[in-house]
Amino acid sequence: MDFITDHLLTFILFSPVFVALLMLFLPGTEKQLLRWTALIGSLIPLLLSLVLWFQFDGRATGFQFEEQAVWYEAINASYHLGVDGISLSMVLLTTLLTPLAILASFGIEDRVKPYMILFLLLETGMLGVFLALDLLIFFVFYEVGLVPMYFLINQWGSPKGERKLWGNVTVPARTYASFKFMIYTMGASLGLLLAIQMIGAITGTFDLLELYDVWRVTSTSLTVFGLSASTVKSIAFWAFVVAFALKVPVWPFHTWLPDAHTEAPTAGSMILAGVLLKLGAYGFIRLVIPLFPHEAAIFAGALALLAMLAIIFGAFASYGQNDFKRLVAYSSVNHMGFVVLGIAAAAWAARNAHPEHAVIAMNGAVLQMFNHGLSAAGMFFLVGVIYDRTHTRDLRKYGGLFPLVPVYGGILIFTSMASLGLPGLNGFVSEFLVVRGAWPIFTFYTALSMLGLLFTGAYIIKGIRSTLHGPLNREWIGHLSEINGRELAVIAPLMVLMLWLGIWPAWLLGVINQTVTAIFG
Amino acid sequence: MIPLSWYLILAAALFCLGLYGMLARKNAVAILMSVELMLNAVNINLVAFWRYGDPNQVVAQVFAIIVFAVSAAEVAVGLALVISLYRNRRTVIAENVDLLRW
Amino acid sequence: MATETLIWLLPLPPLLSFFLIVLFTNRNKLLSHTIAIASAVLSWLAGMVVFARALGDDFHHLGEHPFESAINWLPTGTGAFQIGVRIDPLGALALFFVCWTVLMIFIYSVGYHNFGQPEGDHDAKGLPPHGATVKHDGHSHTVPSVEPNYSRFFAFISLFAFGMYVLVVSDNLLTLFVGWEIMGLCSYLLIGFWYAKPSARAAAIKAFMTTRIGDVFMLLGLAYLYAQAGSLSYSVIFSPETLDHLAHESAVGGLFGLTAAGLIGILLFIGTIGKSAQFPLHVWLPDAMEGPTPVSAMIHAATMVSAGVYMVIRIFPILAAGGHHGELTPAMMALAAVGAFTALFAATIAIAQNDIKRVLAYSTISQLGFMVAALGIGAYIAAAFHLMTHAFFKALLFLGSGSVIHGVEHGVLHTGDHSVDPQDMLNMGGLRSKMPVTFWTFLIGGFALAGFPLVTAGFWSKDEIFADAWFLYSHDGNGWGLFVLIVLALAAFLTAFYTMRQITLTFLGEARTEEARHAHETPWTMTFPLVVLSVFAVGIGWFGIPDDFPVLGGLLPNLVHGVAYTLPEEVELAELVFSAVPLIVSLAVALLGLLFGWLVYRGYRAGQADPLKKSLGGLHTLLENKYYLDELYHATFVRFSEWVSETLTYRWLDQGLIDGFLHTLARIANWLGTNLRDRIEMPVISDGADALGDGVKIFGRNFRLIQSGRIQNYMNLVLVIVVLFGVLFYLILQ
Repeated sequence: MDFITDHLLTFILFSPVFVALLMLFLPGTEKQLLRWTALIGSLIPLLLSLVLWFQFDGRATGFQFEEQAVWYEAINASYHLGVDGISLSMVLLTTLLTPLAILASFGIEDRVKPYMILFLLLETGMLGVFLALDLLIFFVFYEVGLVPMYFLINQWGSPKGERKLWGNVTVPARTYASFKFMIYTMGASLGLLLAIQMIGAITGTFDLLELYDVWRVTSTSLTVFGLSASTVKSIAFWAFVVAFALKVPVWPFHTWLPDAHTEAPTAGSMILAGVLLKLGAYGFIRLVIPLFPHEAAIFAGALALLAMLAIIFGAFASYGQNDFKRLVAYSSVNHMGFVVLGIAAAAWAARNAHPEHAVIAMNGAVLQMFNHGLSAAGMFFLVGVIYDRTHTRDLRKYGGLFPLVPVYGGILIFTSMASLGLPGLNGFVSEFLVVRGAWPIFTFYTALSMLGLLFTGAYIIKGIRSTLHGPLNREWIGHLSEINGRELAVIAPLMVLMLWLGIWPAWLLGVINQTVTAIFG
Repeated sequence: MIPLSWYLILAAALFCLGLYGMLARKNAVAILMSVELMLNAVNINLVAFWRYGDPNQVVAQVFAIIVFAVSAAEVAVGLALVISLYRNRRTVIAENVDLLRW
Repeated sequence: MATETLIWLLPLPPLLSFFLIVLFTNRNKLLSHTIAIASAVLSWLAGMVVFARALGDDFHHLGEHPFESAINWLPTGTGAFQIGVRIDPLGALALFFVCWTVLMIFIYSVGYHNFGQPEGDHDAKGLPPHGATVKHDGHSHTVPSVEPNYSRFFAFISLFAFGMYVLVVSDNLLTLFVGWEIMGLCSYLLIGFWYAKPSARAAAIKAFMTTRIGDVFMLLGLAYLYAQAGSLSYSVIFSPETLDHLAHESAVGGLFGLTAAGLIGILLFIGTIGKSAQFPLHVWLPDAMEGPTPVSAMIHAATMVSAGVYMVIRIFPILAAGGHHGELTPAMMALAAVGAFTALFAATIAIAQNDIKRVLAYSTISQLGFMVAALGIGAYIAAAFHLMTHAFFKALLFLGSGSVIHGVEHGVLHTGDHSVDPQDMLNMGGLRSKMPVTFWTFLIGGFALAGFPLVTAGFWSKDEIFADAWFLYSHDGNGWGLFVLIVLALAAFLTAFYTMRQITLTFLGEARTEEARHAHETPWTMTFPLVVLSVFAVGIGWFGIPDDFPVLGGLLPNLVHGVAYTLPEEVELAELVFSAVPLIVSLAVALLGLLFGWLVYRGYRAGQADPLKKSLGGLHTLLENKYYLDELYHATFVRFSEWVSETLTYRWLDQGLIDGFLHTLARIANWLGTNLRDRIEMPVISDGADALGDGVKIFGRNFRLIQSGRIQNYMNLVLVIVVLFGVLFYLILQ
């Protein structure tokens, strides 16, 4: 038992890979067996992270459960893992959403084995990012996550649809989406890789804990290629920012998101919105602000401006959709904008002697990450449920479905309201904290972003109006069955958490707050 | 005394005859005989140069004898090949034997 | 049980009822409404106990030592954000009227949704019931049918009641906002209760979106206040230090020279403009009448729209912070202007409406305007007083109108002519004898609304507003007082007029249609709440009679005046001195309005044009169409935001500009790749290598011809080459 607790993070990180390896030896025709193996396999990291949660010392500051092993001695990169309150909440989110996504994929009939294996590998990729305390390890896992997702979209994405590129060039929509996702993200990570290497070359280490101390005070007399230290740092800062901003995504780097989310299979969208987007925001919190506090404070205004534009344009674009899934996809742009707004406010406030605003804004941002993970995953799942039955995502083709699917309707309204930020459900708490934290810092941007919050209401209501309300579209009578037990099992944990976090957020926020206070307080 | 050039001209004529025969005759046996002619032309040369050169040296005569031996061996092998060829392909015409063609 | 514990528990029964109905009992109508009403009774009981203890404590003492208890809710840095419950005099009064109206409306809903009636013949979920055919003694006739989504209705109103209770018992603005928004959601769900009707769906969305405009501003106000005061608890934000700080800090960005208090007050007040349907965000409330009538009564008269006013009364210390005696702060001026304008504006529309519920809806907007205007001129007590009396009499009027509609629907089912609109007052008349209980209670409610002197509650509360306005003008010489007095007096005159018009058209005279002739009284579950509420519509006013009022003053304790103890001592209220001027105004407008209303409409016959139409002409059309504001909003805001969303943001920005840029990048990469391939890779490298190979191949193909396999050819060749080389050597060696 000691062995397990001593290496808890490694076990959490690699147990999905282990299960995936095991699944390689299972016959590809035994679909039920494969599904259940994947599901039970993905419950292992969940259980382990629950152990982690309960053993985590909520009052201590700094990283816990640290593990360090030699990995790449020549360049001083080591296998260094650890969790604090921020990463703990993200680990919990990841290990929670993966089993749910796998359960949601039980309807997949095509090539079940590679599908499930890819999902488990994806989980490891995401967990690695949250657990890594070494820049190089961080980057490796950051990129590893892309590959399974590329194949999930490319191979199991929605088979219909074409995308016109230019002239007469058209490609299948899922090819377009997966390609855009992959190329765009990788392109942005190039700068990240270069910046990481530059940091490594200058400081001689990739270890985050060392860098926290070393890098931010790197002497001002330093010159690289004849550039002054501040210029070098600014360049590295922007390389980091662009990579993470694209992942979050911040306006105007967001257009890969609606395509990828729309074309991905339901479970893929759940993970994509639920966890993958958080990698970007997590990168801001874990790397950008601690490593570049000075630059972050200087450029926080620009970041806040982009966040505000993401909030506003995300909401507008979402309202302008007639494709249900695309509507939900754009809502992610809108919601993640609040995360970035909170981060930007915290970055500024921390440098300018307003720790109380910084703590509240950052608390809100991290909580918003978690909350958006729950509600976006739930929304995508519900869109998937109705798509499975109607084979259309066009809002104009639904209409008045409430009498046919009362339970589903109730769940959809509940989840939509959580997404909208209805007080009493989870989204409100975090949005309020972000607005509260950002208001004294970026008053004008915060005020304008209320326009986005207003239209959040508009698009959520549009979704409900077009599916559930209005005169019944008689076409669907007899073709639309109620949500089934398996699907309820997927959405129920999410709903419970949404309600619980709305009423009593302190259980999660306490842990986050402790870490955030230690950083900014 | 007959000058050396006469021997040489004789040998050259004999060589040319042999060469012509070798290139122009179709019968493989005739070609073989032509080769013998050319060898003998060489022998004449060897002997003539010995006589008009340094008679104390026997190198030329030794050479001539080796040529005899070689040509005898050659005739033995060559005729055996021709007979084998005839047995296999019922011909001794050299033109019809082009197995090594491209 | 400790009072604080009781207050904590008070909102929970309806929430429990919501979850029980939704999760378990939604198929059983009887069980569902039993649970809902039981929960309402429990909360009511708790509310009454709390109210009694609050009274027993006497309001002066309660104001200084309210029942309160708080817990840490959100950890924020080293501290924590606290939430809790608090009952002070204002909370106690609000709790009182909320408990009563909620319970009455729950009971009323049973009858309204035709519990006990058969299932309808063609009823579908999401549509109002259309009636059922029953066979009785061989011949069939149509009777009202039970609501298909009966249980769901009780679930929703339970959740709604929870929201309202949360709002009332909160000790801080954040949980107040939580209750506020939960009610907003329930309002959306209940207005769109008959969701299959496009009009109901549109009304629900309109209500949700319009109030949300106010809500986002309110959220900003909360954030601002929290940032400034470090808390949202009443005890902190209304403390003298905080108020002093807010009054002297200039607003962020120096906006319009406001103080922080002013900006916070205005931001929060915009929330009220949305929630309490003040101009220009009032448009949702009349449309909200698409919902079932109990919903209109509860949400859109007694509780939710009142919550907006309740909130501004709550934050009055902030609104008034920095002001001096007899002067209005900018925030208060905003309240006074918006409130007074709305009161008159909505009253003018109300006189031209024919839908019985719409008249009441505009009347509600107008009355809420009275309260807002009252608060704007600093008439804190009067606003709270009017809030309470209005909640009772307006709930009564709405329930009464529901009863009327129900009665007329009965007639519609009898004649089978479904083209007759059972809500149109022009189709009514003479219901006095058919529906006596409804008539008398409606009359009481109507007179209370009109401010019928001395007897009704509406008179006392409205009179108090006038008195305050007059005092502000006459004593402090502030012109706002006169302005508010004149505008509100006009509005009050119109109020009395349209109330009497409504009563006359509905109940008096002869029945104008066959349907009205066959209307009959509604079941006891509907009339009982009417009777109870009508008692309050009269009696509640007697507990707010000013002590120095001639003859009547001081006969009963002035409980309402105790609200003032809610305020911190630093906030001064004017000490009113009795004056005859506002009293005369109040008497005159009420009585004249009622009289004119009766005179104009008593002779109205079926098929005639509205008598006002002749005298007002084009103005009447303008009023009938609500100043065309709906059309204006639709043409500007709605269309514009759709254009911004679909065209500007999505098509132009995202798909055009950003994706266009990306596609251009991709296209450049594609072009570069294609060109490299076509210009260099294919012609030079690939074709070059091919040419080399081909050359060798061709050379070999041609050159192999010399390999004839004929020995003599080879010899010939050797000969030629030997000769050639011989010649060559010969030439070179030369």
